[in-house]
Amino acid sequence: MADFEERRSLLGDENEDRGPGRQLSAICDPSHVLHRVVVLIFMCFLGFGSYFCYDNPAALQTQVIQDMNLNTAEFMQLYAWYSWPNVVLCFLGGFLIDRVFGIRLGTIIFSLFVCVGQVIFAAGAWSNHFWLMEAGRFVFGIGGESLAVAQNTYAVNWFKGKELNLVFGLQLSMARLGSTVNMNIMGWVYSKVAVAVGSSGHTTLGISLMIAAGTCVFSLICALVLGFLDKRAERILHKEQGRTGEVIKLTDVKDFSLSLWLIFIICVFYYVAIFPFIGQGQVFFIEKFNFSPAQARAVNSIVYIISAPASPILGFIVDKTGRNIGWVFAAVIATLCAHMMLAFTFWNPWIAMSLLGVSYSLLACALWPMVAFVVPEHQLGTAYGFMQSIQNLGLAVIAIAVGVIVDIRGYLVLEVFFCACICIALMAVVGLYFVDYLKGEGLNQSAAERAKLQKETAEHAE
Amino acid sequence: MAPAGTGGIFVILVIFVFSSCESLFSGGDSYKRELTVKLYPNSTPSGGELLHVRAVGGNDTLHFLFCSQGAPTLLLVHTNSNSSTVEVNWPEFLARNTSGSLKVEPQSSILYSTAIVFSQLLEYNDENNTAEEKSNFFPAYELKDFIWTRMNLSDSTATLCGSPTRSGNGSLCLQLSVFGSEGRADLWPRLLHSANSSQLEVWLNGLPPRSNMSRFVLELQAVGGAYPLSTVNVHQFIDDEYTPSIFQMSQWVSSPNNGSDVLGFAQWKPVAYRTPHATLEDATPCRNSDPQQQSGNSTSASSALIKAFYSDPAAIGLNVSFGIAGEPYYNSTMFLSWTMLVGVGSPPVDSFSPMVIGILTAGLGIPILLLLGGGVYVLIAKKRESSGTGYEPIN
Repeated sequence: MADFEERRSLLGDENEDRGPGRQLSAICDPSHVLHRVVVLIFMCFLGFGSYFCYDNPAALQTQVIQDMNLNTAEFMQLYAWYSWPNVVLCFLGGFLIDRVFGIRLGTIIFSLFVCVGQVIFAAGAWSNHFWLMEAGRFVFGIGGESLAVAQNTYAVNWFKGKELNLVFGLQLSMARLGSTVNMNIMGWVYSKVAVAVGSSGHTTLGISLMIAAGTCVFSLICALVLGFLDKRAERILHKEQGRTGEVIKLTDVKDFSLSLWLIFIICVFYYVAIFPFIGQGQVFFIEKFNFSPAQARAVNSIVYIISAPASPILGFIVDKTGRNIGWVFAAVIATLCAHMMLAFTFWNPWIAMSLLGVSYSLLACALWPMVAFVVPEHQLGTAYGFMQSIQNLGLAVIAIAVGVIVDIRGYLVLEVFFCACICIALMAVVGLYFVDYLKGEGLNQSAAERAKLQKETAEHAE
Repeated sequence: MAPAGTGGIFVILVIFVFSSCESLFSGGDSYKRELTVKLYPNSTPSGGELLHVRAVGGNDTLHFLFCSQGAPTLLLVHTNSNSSTVEVNWPEFLARNTSGSLKVEPQSSILYSTAIVFSQLLEYNDENNTAEEKSNFFPAYELKDFIWTRMNLSDSTATLCGSPTRSGNGSLCLQLSVFGSEGRADLWPRLLHSANSSQLEVWLNGLPPRSNMSRFVLELQAVGGAYPLSTVNVHQFIDDEYTPSIFQMSQWVSSPNNGSDVLGFAQWKPVAYRTPHATLEDATPCRNSDPQQQSGNSTSASSALIKAFYSDPAAIGLNVSFGIAGEPYYNSTMFLSWTMLVGVGSPPVDSFSPMVIGILTAGLGIPILLLLGGGVYVLIAKKRESSGTGYEPIN
């Protein structure tokens, strides 16, 4: 899934917190920290279901391929169909939440899409219709990314201020937890269902996916509870509904600088070497390294497991040291090394996948804030929306290409393809370094220099 | 400026790399042989045929003999003269009473000989889907008792099919391909062959299984005079371009005194395919058992070619079993195909294709070039700046 959580600058109105009229118990008092912790718990589990179900195909790759009689190219369509609606929706998410639905109704609607999409996906497996599974992933995709926007908007609304980074970090960790749990549990769920049903087959697959849809129902319940709590807080504290505050103007695209386009290139070509790889990684580890299916799923999930604790730590380090381009360069080189290890050696893949997890977290912490450094604030919404949109476009197209490559030419050519994508990202990083150096835009400043510059600008403005 | 220049450099680099690699990799083993084919008997065959392919190199000859009398047998004889011939006493050959009815003249020029006999096709009932071939075996098909058709010759391939009974539906077919130069087959597993090797493809087509959960095992015997094929080595390699998802190669070699010199080999990838024009999903892994000593006399009795050529053969047997736990059974497609290479000398070694090398060189080289180029440009720009005085006088 796109790293929506990693990027954020605070755009929000100043809310005046007026106290409640009468005394409420601590846990029921919307301005009390205990109540906000309760809200935080529901907020974190809001995205759990969609992250859990996003990687269901990867966790059950051999079963999906065998039970539905697919080849790898058709299997990867399940990921492509998730990304297609988000090419357009990334621009509309903020608009839908701010102007059309409002945050509460919007969250519930998106959760509903996620739930219904997963149910259709499971029904497609049960009735042995692959086109229905693809349709289910499409509906699931409509809800999934927009739900992340809603989750962030809730967070900004309730936790604006010093706690916001912690909340974003927790939401991200919950998301990664959902992915990890999915990878390691779904295989076990499938085998238990197969024992209960009597044989494996598309019915067993359908039932397993329906069980996974239970997490989406759980998230839907969290959305309903959150809506209720938010409405209640609005009534008691007299504050406004949360807004994303994003303004999307597509005409702003012509104003994007060369640095920003290079950042887009890095984003697209880097992520297409991560998510589609994890999507079909299980069979790769089974075939090349002779792992058992359970081991293959475990090593596939290590990227997410590492990302959960590493992202806040690396984010802190990058914030303190600055020099974003240097960190992006390091992350891209590390990912290239990881893919080359997987391609050209038989070394234990745990090493390469751990390296991949660390570098993936590092890149996210260093790359997304750079957008805020090169784009004026009123264009930020458009810039992020565009970045997500082309990222999803890249993921959709490359997911299909990955499947075709594996079917025709095997895994070495696939890994070389991923290395080539990373090399393109590397070229863009090198280009970005020189463009930034020559234009003096200051993307690679250290944090101290940047703070000094901001102070001087502020003093100058007075 | 920079993107257009980069694009141009990229194209030139790719073309340069491809053209240099073509010569590098296609000229690996340019040893060539001339092939001549002869089929015995000249008249209507009564009990099976013998195919003789003579592959003449610069100063040596490789004789391939493929016989369908009794159990199908492939015999390779390597001689160090390019004028050696094979002499067959056909009536004695048919009688299968004496050895010496097939001779390679001159006898002193024989460097090495090896033979592969396809002796049995075993079938077992894999009830629990565990693919352990320990029990539940049905009566074995003895390939010496099969009814074999006439050999179908085309180009440098010979196809032979046989079925258990005269009116039986379904058959076991073998196809021998002899090569005059290095190359790679078109269909998976796309084994790389040299002029010193021949390819044998074995496939089961439509043979009715005796249970719904049958799996098959093929028994091979390697026969040789002094040094038959004795040990199986499994090599791992990283390149699965030509056989997607297979990263291993099994080699059954004959090396005297466990030395490093390999006299003869049989080579295969541990995969079988469940449809004639296979896709990735139709691949099923196969395993082999350890080679075991077997009775040379019974091998002689089952194969006319062994009886005719070897007086005192030593036989080592090996089982190749198709399918592992969890794979679909034979009756899902009623088709199984497996390919092996048999040859003399060292087995061919696979290498990367030029495309992979080209992409890697371009992918790694261009960022380095960009770094160097950009660094030089920045240095020059700085020098130009600092060479100016900075401030210009007003007057």
